[in-house]
Amino acid sequence: MKTLNFNQIESGMELPSLIIGKLTHAAIIRYAGASGDFNPIHNDPEAAKAYGLGGTVAHGMFVMAYLGRYCTSLTDKRRVKTFHAKFKGMARPGQTLTCTGKIKRKKEENGEKLAVISMEVADENGEVKVSGEMSVICDH
Amino acid sequence: MTELSKDIVGKKLDQYEYTVERGKIKEFCLAIGETDSIYFNLDEAKKAGYDDIPAPPTFTTVIQFWGYPKIWHDLEAIGIDIKKMLHIKEEYNYLKTIYPGTYKAQPEIIDVKTGKMDMVTFKTIFTNEKNEPVIEAEMAVVIMPDAK
Repeated sequence: MKTLNFNQIESGMELPSLIIGKLTHAAIIRYAGASGDFNPIHNDPEAAKAYGLGGTVAHGMFVMAYLGRYCTSLTDKRRVKTFHAKFKGMARPGQTLTCTGKIKRKKEENGEKLAVISMEVADENGEVKVSGEMSVICDH
Repeated sequence: MTELSKDIVGKKLDQYEYTVERGKIKEFCLAIGETDSIYFNLDEAKKAGYDDIPAPPTFTTVIQFWGYPKIWHDLEAIGIDIKKMLHIKEEYNYLKTIYPGTYKAQPEIIDVKTGKMDMVTFKTIFTNEKNEPVIEAEMAVVIMPDAK
């Protein structure tokens, strides 16, 4: 089981990043089908323009799902207690996305040793799309 | 159209049900580029200590949209102009692993802020077949003011 060790992490420590790659219109359509979210701003360029968005944008939840992949690349999913996300910017086809994260703080709560990890998904220009935080039960 | 009001705090939306299948977990994982074999291969999931193929962290989106497709209509009905709605926050509190099986979800409106930009927060508790809560989810949306 992939875990974080409480004794080997410190607040401020940077964690390995996860390169997601280039977002495509096809990937957004595929996410629409898988998730069932058929809001036209994600799948219909004309409708998205009519909404004043200038073109289709990815579902916030699609970008958060990438951040979810990042969570489980760092630790076993059964160790994740909470996962919070804020939607900050629109992710658009053609942008290259990367997830990064660092240890925000360590804490002990109800006998559990926890790490709070802050994370974000940004494009190649550093524009943040989704920022998030997860609390994780650590080994010790 | 109905005016958004603080009176709807505490209002429950329809309870809904959705049956999670291994194939849907696989489809969702393919869509998000997830490659961990625990989501695709039962033997690998069991080897990793899972009872069945588990669902990935944001899978409740699938339960929500496929289990409750009339959500858009119901949002309009409580006074949210979905054309101006932006999802700004999503939070999960994980209690148990979601495996294939039938889940119930009960969404409730827990906060409404009205003003320059209106904001509505929903809380949904997902429960498994034993009626145990598996995930508590909070979602907040804002309604963009009219561009003048």
